[in-house]
Parts: sequence; structure tokens; C-alpha cells
Amino acid sequence: MVRRLTTGLAMPLGSVLLAFVLGGLIVAATGGNPFSAYAALVCGGFGIGCAGGENPGLQISNTIVFVIPLITAGIAVALPFRAGLFNIGAEGQLLAGSIACTAIGIKFSSLPSPILLPMVLVGGMVGGALWAGVAGVLKATIGAHEVVTTIMMNYIAQWFLRYLIVGGPLQLAPGTSKSSPIGAGARLATLLPNDNSLIILGLPSSVFRVHTGLLIALAAAAGFAFLLWRTSLGYEIRAVGQSQKAARYAGISVRRTIIVTMLIAGGFAGLAGAIEIAGVDHNLTDKYFSDTTGFDAIAVALLGLGSAVGIVLAAILFGALHAGGSVMQADAGISGNLVFILQALILFSIAANFVGAIRQRIPGLGRPTALPPDLPPAAPMMTEAAAPPTEA
Amino acid sequence: MSAIGDILHLLITANLWQATLAAAILLLLPALGGTISERSGVVNIAMEGMMLTGAFFGVAADLAWHNPWLATGVAMLAGALMAMVHAVVSIQFRADQIVSGIAINIFAAGLTVFLINRIYGLQDVGHVDQSALLPNINVPGLDQIPFLGKVFFQQNVIVYVALVLLVLTHLVLFRTRLGLRIRAVGEHPQAADTAGINVFAIRYGAVVTSGLLSGLSGAFLAIGISNTFVPNMTDGRGYIALAAMIFGKWTPFGAFVACLIFGLGQAIYDNNSIIHISPYLLSMLPYLLTLIVLAGLVGRSIPPAADGLPYVPGSE
Amino acid sequence: MAYKRFKFLGVAAVVLMVAMACGGSNNPGTSKQYKIGLVTDIGGLNDKSFNHLAYVGLEKAKTDFGIKDDVTESKSGNDYVNNLTGFASKNYDLVIGVGFLMQEAVGTVSGQFPNIHFAIIDGAGTDANGNDLKHTNVESLFFKEQDAGAMVGVIAGWMEKNGKAKKNKHVIGAVGGISIPPVNHYIAGYKWAATMEDPSIKVLVGYSNDFTDPAKCKGQATSMINSNADILFQVAGGCGLGVLQGAGQAGVYSIGVDADQKDADPSVIASALKKVDVATYTAIKNVVNGQFQAGALTFSIANDGAGYAVDNLTVPAELQTELKTFQDKIKAGTLTPPADIPTP
Repeated sequence: MVRRLTTGLAMPLGSVLLAFVLGGLIVAATGGNPFSAYAALVCGGFGIGCAGGENPGLQISNTIVFVIPLITAGIAVALPFRAGLFNIGAEGQLLAGSIACTAIGIKFSSLPSPILLPMVLVGGMVGGALWAGVAGVLKATIGAHEVVTTIMMNYIAQWFLRYLIVGGPLQLAPGTSKSSPIGAGARLATLLPNDNSLIILGLPSSVFRVHTGLLIALAAAAGFAFLLWRTSLGYEIRAVGQSQKAARYAGISVRRTIIVTMLIAGGFAGLAGAIEIAGVDHNLTDKYFSDTTGFDAIAVALLGLGSAVGIVLAAILFGALHAGGSVMQADAGISGNLVFILQALILFSIAANFVGAIRQRIPGLGRPTALPPDLPPAAPMMTEAAAPPTEA
Repeated sequence: MSAIGDILHLLITANLWQATLAAAILLLLPALGGTISERSGVVNIAMEGMMLTGAFFGVAADLAWHNPWLATGVAMLAGALMAMVHAVVSIQFRADQIVSGIAINIFAAGLTVFLINRIYGLQDVGHVDQSALLPNINVPGLDQIPFLGKVFFQQNVIVYVALVLLVLTHLVLFRTRLGLRIRAVGEHPQAADTAGINVFAIRYGAVVTSGLLSGLSGAFLAIGISNTFVPNMTDGRGYIALAAMIFGKWTPFGAFVACLIFGLGQAIYDNNSIIHISPYLLSMLPYLLTLIVLAGLVGRSIPPAADGLPYVPGSE
Repeated sequence: MAYKRFKFLGVAAVVLMVAMACGGSNNPGTSKQYKIGLVTDIGGLNDKSFNHLAYVGLEKAKTDFGIKDDVTESKSGNDYVNNLTGFASKNYDLVIGVGFLMQEAVGTVSGQFPNIHFAIIDGAGTDANGNDLKHTNVESLFFKEQDAGAMVGVIAGWMEKNGKAKKNKHVIGAVGGISIPPVNHYIAGYKWAATMEDPSIKVLVGYSNDFTDPAKCKGQATSMINSNADILFQVAGGCGLGVLQGAGQAGVYSIGVDADQKDADPSVIASALKKVDVATYTAIKNVVNGQFQAGALTFSIANDGAGYAVDNLTVPAELQTELKTFQDKIKAGTLTPPADIPTP
């Protein structure tokens, strides 16, 4: 068990390490100091070893706020992976979820929280599910490649959002680019009191924006693991991912599984959008024009190797990177865009399994690692899915 | 009501079609690159990143040397280098090709802004002189043909280059031994290997070619249409090119038709000072159109059989 | 016990008074080094527009006042609150948010840190409904873009009226990024003044829906040129560079925005200036001099916070006079450029 855990962790951890080494070389090559850059990054992400006077509690809180949607959106990418589908559309599904959540939260703003909060969250999930469902249906019925359809749906969601809040029906007032706020009952509470006068850790407690969406995200991760490993649907999803042909022989409807998988995945992404609205923003704003959570989620799902625990850990890493990037620029003078470079390098080394390759070439380093048997490498899954399914 | 009339009126102007062609060419170059790469069996969604990298290095080189041709060469080289990363990771290390492609795109977006920051400080990147831009060329004589002259023969030099490349790509892919080999490698690498074709060499070549073409498109955008680099200026064109490639069923001319449709959408949109329609809904149109076409008109889009499959010598 | 506490308060009061005395003195030897934090919006510092100009103002202040300056570029809208809070929690003397998009974030964070000074370019600290919270620690730096727009509108209208433009069909154009107030103010002044100069003029207004892709704005420009426009005003940041370049290639005139853009293309005959650098510098200067001023600080032609620059054009004496008269009238308040685009 321990051995399996260590071999399971070696690949992602090694990949992250390798990415940081390469990123450090890029910083050094362009005349920066990688050590001070990374020190500031760690401070910004985890509140550890801050030299610039940052408040550790605040940095951790900021990171968690980023982690919450990354977990749920990460699941939205990881689940279709298991069925051999590549969901690049988590961003569009997230936007659909945030739109649905906001629309309901405004329309029924006077309802009390016990009724309205579940309504906006479920509404967000339904919005995301429908958005992903389009790609699922097109894939299952006529074999349209889900990578292309989900990319198209991303763009459609982005433009639709702009239409809604710039001149469209959700616009707050002429000349603004946001919606009116959702009702008080539709909001997720913050973990610490949202009070400007209460001082916690030397700062007003309202600056700590961690909210109860954290619990929902963790529950979603647990639900994802349960669905995948403890239900017959999970079995079907994995079977389709392993081999559509074999799944068909086992009496599984591949088409139905594909559609259902995309619907559920979209639900998770939509939940991420709804949580962002209900927990952080409370209205749709222009910030969603430049939101990248759904794209970051792809990296989260890959680094997390598609497991619930892995996704949570990977989300923490990417959330910390995002939060740390700002501190890095302020304290170390290194552009926060280094964070994107690191993210890309992590993806490269995960996808290419550089770590495994290095270990294989240096015999002293121990047995060559393979992925744990229950984690099929992504490539074969992808390609089988590329061909349109035919129902036997 | 009048919006429709306005659009119909626009459709009979040569100006609209001239703009359509230029916008389409920006998409066509990466779409051709993607087609070549995927025909050889390597999925490539990295055109966006390769194009952006090309645009950045094209501008940097043109600012340094005031020579658009040299700068275009540098842009293509930069695109090719990015493609090389994709090739090494996905051919040598057999990585998931979509993941590698996404990584390239993120990498390019981060790297270009990071480099601006390190090279130009927090200052302006600067503007390329008119004289050092890729020139517009009117083809003597032909440019006087009514309507068609304006559409086809009063364009940027890259437009002509791209049209030649379009025909060339078609001929190479479907009329030459090399093309046969590329397609064989993409359809059945094991058989191709057995027949003595170097699968790795073909795939490397195809992927690098996609980088060259995407870099060329980046140069066209940055030092042909514009005269400077703006972060993220490619604005998702690489992804649209990808859609055009699939839309065109992995054929050069099919992709070109798709690019023309997207180009037309953009060209109509460019006239929003004259026609009045919600700009956001109008912007949505090309993507909706793609979905609809994917859903019904084109029918099944079937990629080359080994598209996305890393080749493991001696397997199967 | 009670006495002890009182004694402590007394000590604190003395320390505070000493600190205040030091802060107020102009003795450079003992005066503290002010810490100024600048947070850009998602355009980033290389946006060739207001984020960049804000940085220019910050650098000038650094030279003049020896402040410690730090910049954070926001990678996405999710960063605004965090980046502002980051500087505020480190007790910076002034935290500057650049841009209309950060209004709500500044409203939130300024409420949490009532003792930290904030300044925001192009906006106020607002609540979720867009209402100004009127926090006493927020300085709102507004611009009358319509003043600058009107001045370049005079140039465009005068040239059309007097046959000095390239086509002389009495058609000019303006390309906006997105239809938001700071963009529309410019276009409003431009259209209003041009129409005043040349009543027969037709002003085409289009939006590229983009601030970063020059090709999109060039397309807008080309469309307008095809409709006989021969002077084009760009109000679209980095995207709008395509307007300037497109005008140059088509052999017509263009007008730059925000900064003096004469180097962007030879076709640029004038630029409408929105002196974000001046505003940023002023905000910093106010803090350093202990003159921080809550509420709106409007930059207009009257206080040289907005204006115009004549670029690659030799201005005839007649136009020179016209511009001077117009500018004086705006300064005197006898002419007031509108903030909303006049119809038709």
C-alpha cells in the first residue's frame, strides 16, 4: 500500500519538481533570481517564509478561494477522461453555471436562504450540464469530436455572457458591464465573519474570503470518487474508457454512457461557476470575460491523475501558484506570467512522463515506474474516443 | 429588417470579399499546418501558441533589423521551435498530444508576456516602421479586373504566398510519394514502417511544418496586418483554425472553405458601424455555425486512423 | 491597572504625535519613504494604454519623491481584490487601482482598510450595485474624455469642412473597443465637436469588441474607409493600433488616443490625451504632501489633465485659432462637451 502510494506520487511530484527547475532556468537565463522568485511564490501561495510583510493567514485564504472552483472544475475534466472523452469545455460549462445561478439568484432574490441557496446551486449544475450535454449528444449521435464542439461551446458561452451583461437582459444599468447582485439568501457564508471591524490575525476578518463552498467542493470530490468506484454507472464509464468495443460486448450502451458522462461533468463545472457567484462575486461581472478556471482545470485533472485525492492536491498546487504569482511580482519583480510557464511545464512533464524516462535511463534510481494499474494513461483513451462510436 | 438588407448590400461589394479573404488567410495557414500534422498522425491543437510565439519574435526581429523578410523567417523559426517541443514530447516521449498542445498554448501566452517584461522592461514594445512591414502588392494588370481584381489581386504578399501554399499542400498530400507516405504514417504507421518508411522522420517533419506555417501566420498578423505585438493578439485564431481543419475533413481545400466562412463572419462584423445588430450575438455566429455544420451538414468527421496514437516501433 | 492602561495610552499618544510631526515635516533626512502600490487591470503594463501611462506616472513620482513603488499586474479579474488587499495589508501609503473594471474591488477593500489610502483611475469605490460608497479613504480619478475627444473632433471637423482631408466626402469615423463609458465619452466629444465644425459631416461609430487584437480594429477601419471616411479616431487601446496602421496603408488620416501616438504610424495627425500619468502622479504627490483628498478628482482640459497633441500635421493658422478659441470656451465653461454620444 505504502509502496503503491509512493510510486503513485513519484510521477506527479517529480514532474512538478522538474517544471520548477526548468522554470528557474528560464528566470535565470533572462537575468532574474529564481530563488527569490520562488521564495515569493511560496509565500504568496502558502504564507510560508514571507519576507515582504505578507500576512500568512491572508495568503492561505486567498489560495483556498482559488482552490475551491479548481476542485469542482477539475472533476468536470477528470470524469470524462475516465470515459475516454476530453472535455476542454469546462470553462464554457462553468460560465453557463454562473449565468444560471445569477439569473435564478436575481429572479427569486426574496426567497429565504434554505430554499434559494440550493436552487441557485442546482440551477448552476443544470446550466453546466446542458452546456456539456450538447457536446455529449453530438458525440454520441453523429460522432462530432468533443474537443471541437466543447471549444465552440466555450466561445458561445463567452459571447452570450457578454451579450447578457452588456446591453442584454441581465445588465445592471446602461454603461455598466455587470448584472445586479443575487439575493442575500443565495449567498454562501464566509467561514470567518464578514465583518470589517472584527480583527483576526491583525486584519479585518472580512479580508479572509474563504467560504463554505470549500465544504461543497470537498463533498463533490468525495462524490466523484464514490460515483467512479462504487456505482454501476462508474463501472460503465470506466469500461467505456478502457475499450468501447469491450464495453459494448458487456452490454453497456456506449452512447448513453457518453451522454450521461458529459451531463454529470457539466454539472460539476456548472457547480464551480455557481459557487464562484454564490461564494465570492455575488454578481456576474466583466471578470468572467477573462476567467481561466475551466482551462486550469485541465491541468488539475491531469496532474491529479484523475483521482479525487489527486485532484484536491493538484488544485491546491495550482491555486497556490495563482495566488503566489501576484506576490512574486510585487516582491521579487518577476512577472506573474511565470506562473503560466510553470503550469505549462508541469503539463509537459506529466504528459510525457519525463520522470519515468529519467528513472529508466538511470538504473540506480530504482525500478522504472508505471502508472498504477487503475490509472490508464490518457493517450490510448483519447484516441479510441476520437473515432465515432457505433452501436452494435 | 434593415440589418438584413444592409448585409445583403454588403455581400455584393468587393471590399467585403477582400477583407474576407485576408481574414481567412490568417486562419488558413495554421489550418494547413494542422492538416499536415494530423495527416501524419500527430494531433495538433498548438497552432494558437505557435502563432503567438511567431508574432512576438517576428516583431522583436523586425524592430531589431528592420527587415520584414528576415523577421518573417525568425517568426517561422520560432513557430517551428515550439512545434519541435510538441514533436519531441508527443513523438519521442509519446505524451498525450492534446495535453502537449494545451501546454504549448499556455506556455506561449506566458512566455511572450514574460519576455516582453524581461526584454523591454515595463515599457512599450515599439512600432515597426511602415517600410519594414510585409507589403501589400497589387498584381499589375490583374488588379484592374472588376470585382475579382480587388478581391484576389490587391492583397498582402502573404495572401499570395498562402494561396500558393494551399495548392502546394493539396498537391503534395494527394499527388506525391511524400504525401502518400505522410498519409500512410497517419493511417497505419506499423504498415508504413514495414514498408520502409521512417515514421518518426515523417511525423517530426509534419509537426515542424505546422510550426513554420503557424509562425508565418503570426508574422502576417503582427508585421503585415498590424505593426506591433500586443499580448494575446492571436485571440483564439489557432483554435478556430483547428475547427476549420476538422470542418474541412482534414483536406486543404475543405479547410479553406471553412476559413472563408469564418473570415466572412469577421468581415461582416467589421461593418458594425453601418449595420446595427447586437455585436455580441454577431460575434457568436461563427461558432454556432461551426456547431451546426458539425452537427448536420458535414456529417461525420473522421480523422486519420492513427491520429493521436504515439507510434511504438515493433508494437502490434 | 486603570492607571497603567492610561499611561500606555499616554505613551502611545506621544509616539503618535512624534510620528505625525515627522510625517508632516519636509526635512528629507528624517522623512519616511512612502510606499506606493499599483495594481493594473487585466490589460497589464504593456497595454499601450492607461495601465502603461499609470506606470509612467508612478516612475516619475519615484524620481521626484524617492518613493518605494511596487506593481502587480492582474492576471485575471479574480486577482483584483487579492492584489489590492496585498498592498493594503502591508500598510502601503497609497494603493492605486487602474481602471473602470476595478471599481467594486476598490469599494470592498477600501471598506476593510479605512486607514489606508486608495486611488482609482476611471472610477470610484462602488458596491455591487455600482453605487459610489463614498469612502473617505478613496480618491477617484475621473477624466473628462469628452474634452479630449472634442478637441480632436474640432481638428477632424475643420479639415472636412475646409477640404483638407484626403477624400473630402464629409465622412469621419471612430472605432471603440467596447461600448463602456470611458470609451463613449471620447466618441461623444469627438462627434459633437466635429458636427459643430462641419454640420454636414457624417460620423461612423463602430466597436471591435476587443482591446488586444489589432487585426479586428483594422477591419473596422477598412470598412469605414470603404464608406468614404478619411479621418479615423481609435478608442480601443492595443486593438486600436490597427486603426492607425490601417489608415496609414489606405492613405487617410488617423487620430490616436490616451497617449501621444504619433510614433505608432505616420498617418496619426493628432492624439486625444487622457493624462493618466498626470493623475497617478498627482495622487501620489497628494499623499506625499499630506494632502490626500477623498472623493472625485476630475481631470479635464481646465486643469490640463486631458487635452490633445498635434502630431504628423502642420496646423494652418486658421485651425490653430479655432482650436484655441474652442479650448478657451471649454475652459470657461461656455461650451460643455456631452458625455453621451449625440444622436443621430
